[in-house]
Amino acid sequence: MGLVARKIEERGIPTVTLNMLWPFQAGIGMPRVAAIEHPFGRPYGDVGDREVQSAVLRAGLALFADAGEPGTVEHLPFVWHEEPEETKWHPAEPSPIIAFLKKRSG
Amino acid sequence: MTTTNGGREVDPWRFAGGFLKKVLSRNIPDPPNHPPIPWAPVTKPLSEGKVALLTTAGISMRGDTPFDMDGERKRPTWGDPSWRRIAATATAESIEANHLHIDTSYIERDLNVALPLDRLRELVDAGEVGAIADSHYSVMGYQGASSATLENESAPEIAESMSSEEVDFALLAPV
Repeated sequence: MGLVARKIEERGIPTVTLNMLWPFQAGIGMPRVAAIEHPFGRPYGDVGDREVQSAVLRAGLALFADAGEPGTVEHLPFVWHEEPEETKWHPAEPSPIIAFLKKRSG
Repeated sequence: MTTTNGGREVDPWRFAGGFLKKVLSRNIPDPPNHPPIPWAPVTKPLSEGKVALLTTAGISMRGDTPFDMDGERKRPTWGDPSWRRIAATATAESIEANHLHIDTSYIERDLNVALPLDRLRELVDAGEVGAIADSHYSVMGYQGASSATLENESAPEIAESMSSEEVDFALLAPV
């Protein structure tokens, strides 16, 4: 995704990438990153949670004005409403690569 | 540059679990070694600009070709590198989501969890955002061993499409 952001930016359109796995910035180099601590699959908020969805959207868009230099990482203050052990985000079956790696690692 | 909000840094592994953290951490270089970062300056306020959204959720409009999950099942180190155009009027009912690495049932109940078109429209109505683009975009986030096609074919095509629609701001969200 960061690679896509770079290509769009190269085309002259500013980008913000809302990102759970923001440390990948170290290898990719995204122009503007809004780091968010939400579970995979629901970066903007939970089903039907209009308030959080709006707030995250606003916070992401705000970075266009606030980010002053390439590579800015802004850590957003949102806290997910469930604990990790209560939060279901995994697919019903492990993805093919995870199944493969788990099998290989025994 | 890293800035913190209230001094608290986002924990990227909070929901990942130990195995995924171990697998993914290998791909984070320390020290950083990314190439020079491109930079398109912001030239207008958000209230006068057109916004397009992009998700990596593997979303396609119903009737359009879905992202290829069978190919990935056959070749676990491959992910579909193509892209889809999503209408600004799309809702959970008008899309399907194909992504083998997340539970897509949330997106299929409320598209706004990953592609908040309804929320964006509300910001336009409130005057906070100038306009919503006609087209929005999806790729499928898992690219396996190679992201070259996504980077060199899909991404430039998406950028060209955004440019042709005179998009001023692109907000991307990996899932």
